[in-house]
Amino acid sequence: MLDEKSKYKIELERTKKEFKKLQKELEETKTIFKIKVEARTKELRELAENLDEKVKERTKELEESRTALMNMLEDAEESRKALTNVLEDVDEARRRAEEEKDNTKAIITNFADGLMILDKENKIILINPEGERFLDVNAKEVEGKILGALIKKPSLKKLAELLSAEETKEGLFRKELSFKKPTERVLEVTTVSLAPREENVVILHDISREKLIERMKSEFVSLAAHQLRTPLSAIKWTLRMLLDGDLGKITEEQRGFIEKTYRSNERMISLINDLLDVTRIEEGRYLYKPVLTQIENVVQFVIDSFKEKIRRKKIKLEFKKPRKKLPEVKVDVEKVRSAVNNLLDNAIRYTPVGGRVTASLKCGKKEIELSVKDTGVGIPEDQKERVFTKFFRGANVMRMETEGTGLGLFITKNIIEAHGGRVWFESEENKGSVFHFTLPIKKS
Amino acid sequence: MPQKILIIEDDEFLRELITQKLVKEDFEISEAVDGEEGIKKIKEEKPDLVLLDLILPGIDGFEVLSRMKKELTLAPIPVIILSNLGQKDDVEKGLKMGAIDYLIKAHFTPGEIIDKIKAALK
Repeated sequence: MLDEKSKYKIELERTKKEFKKLQKELEETKTIFKIKVEARTKELRELAENLDEKVKERTKELEESRTALMNMLEDAEESRKALTNVLEDVDEARRRAEEEKDNTKAIITNFADGLMILDKENKIILINPEGERFLDVNAKEVEGKILGALIKKPSLKKLAELLSAEETKEGLFRKELSFKKPTERVLEVTTVSLAPREENVVILHDISREKLIERMKSEFVSLAAHQLRTPLSAIKWTLRMLLDGDLGKITEEQRGFIEKTYRSNERMISLINDLLDVTRIEEGRYLYKPVLTQIENVVQFVIDSFKEKIRRKKIKLEFKKPRKKLPEVKVDVEKVRSAVNNLLDNAIRYTPVGGRVTASLKCGKKEIELSVKDTGVGIPEDQKERVFTKFFRGANVMRMETEGTGLGLFITKNIIEAHGGRVWFESEENKGSVFHFTLPIKKS
Repeated sequence: MPQKILIIEDDEFLRELITQKLVKEDFEISEAVDGEEGIKKIKEEKPDLVLLDLILPGIDGFEVLSRMKKELTLAPIPVIILSNLGQKDDVEKGLKMGAIDYLIKAHFTPGEIIDKIKAALK
């Protein structure tokens, strides 16, 4: 019999063994588990490290992105500031332009001359109050319309005709236009073209008053000349008839006196002519009718008119001109003839018997030059400054010859300068003088 | 037969001077002191030549010339303007209106005027 106690001991042993086996298994499991945990922990650690790296990287990227974004934000801010400035400037410019526009409008509105602006199709963009007055039109009625179509108004018709004339293509400068209705008016028309939009500004300057004064002066001068000439003619004729013996025989002594009186009278008649010329030149900036001319012909004409005087004084006169025909010059023929005449007259008059006068024509690039050289008495050094002034006559010539008005060179200078030329001279007392003038060649 | 010259000139002295000279040259002279008388005498006497001043009392020389040229019988009579009005425009106007010459009194001697008259009558 196994006793209960021994059964229990065997059971206990078995249980102990079981328990030890279990314990061992547990230990093993624990070890495996421990290894697994270690492995897992290692894995986790690695993962953690990886993640850490990745995070660091990502953080770095984000940082960079953030920096970039910040820069962009800064730039945007700069741009915004700049744009604001630009907008401010634009605003300022716009305001100034408005001001300018208002100023310009004020100027145009109050301008003393008439202004009309035409676009490239000759449509009237604008006409100012003076323009309305001069042309007797209403801005509202004509603005926006084509000038050429407004033929019902005679003033506009005339203006349109002037503007469309062939010579106007280059622009007009102070071209005269006159109207009779509703009031007599004379305008100077000048055109200025504004390149960018091909607009034309037409400026109308009222010279009615000047024209009236010119006419009055002309009439007065004409009348005065006539009144002065009448008694002088009577004296001239009487003295001539005395000298010709028509009123009876005269002695040699009487002849001498009468001749001097006759010459004195002639001088007065000549003076009146010169005064007439002078007033005409001074009042007229405008040359009578400039036409294209061969200057050689003008000089030749004048030379021919002195043939008798040259013969009497036994003066040798030479005319030197280039072989090729000179280019034409645009001149008032009568006035230029007068200028040449004055130079030749002086040369012949102040050159003693047997002397020599040479007229030469030279052609430059932009101008033609005439020189008149003489072997005459010349001009004293201290008087050279006054040569071109009114009524000047050299002291040496006044003693030599009493005729001569002292206006010739003054008139010549005015004529040549009115043509856009120059006058000058060289002279040596008792040797002779050379007088020059130039006339511009118009480029066609 | 002596040729008849009609002189229309308002200044007595000048008229006398020129008349004296013309008479010496064997011309027959007729005188008028103003435009109206001038026209009347042209019509009545039909001179061979007219010496015409421009500044005259009443109607002026241009008017006389104009009326002359309008009448067929008077138009062919040669007219020499003898005036002290000497502006370019006046000369052009006179010549355009039919005067055969325009002489400024102060620029011509009586002898020279006679020469011009003789030349015109040839």
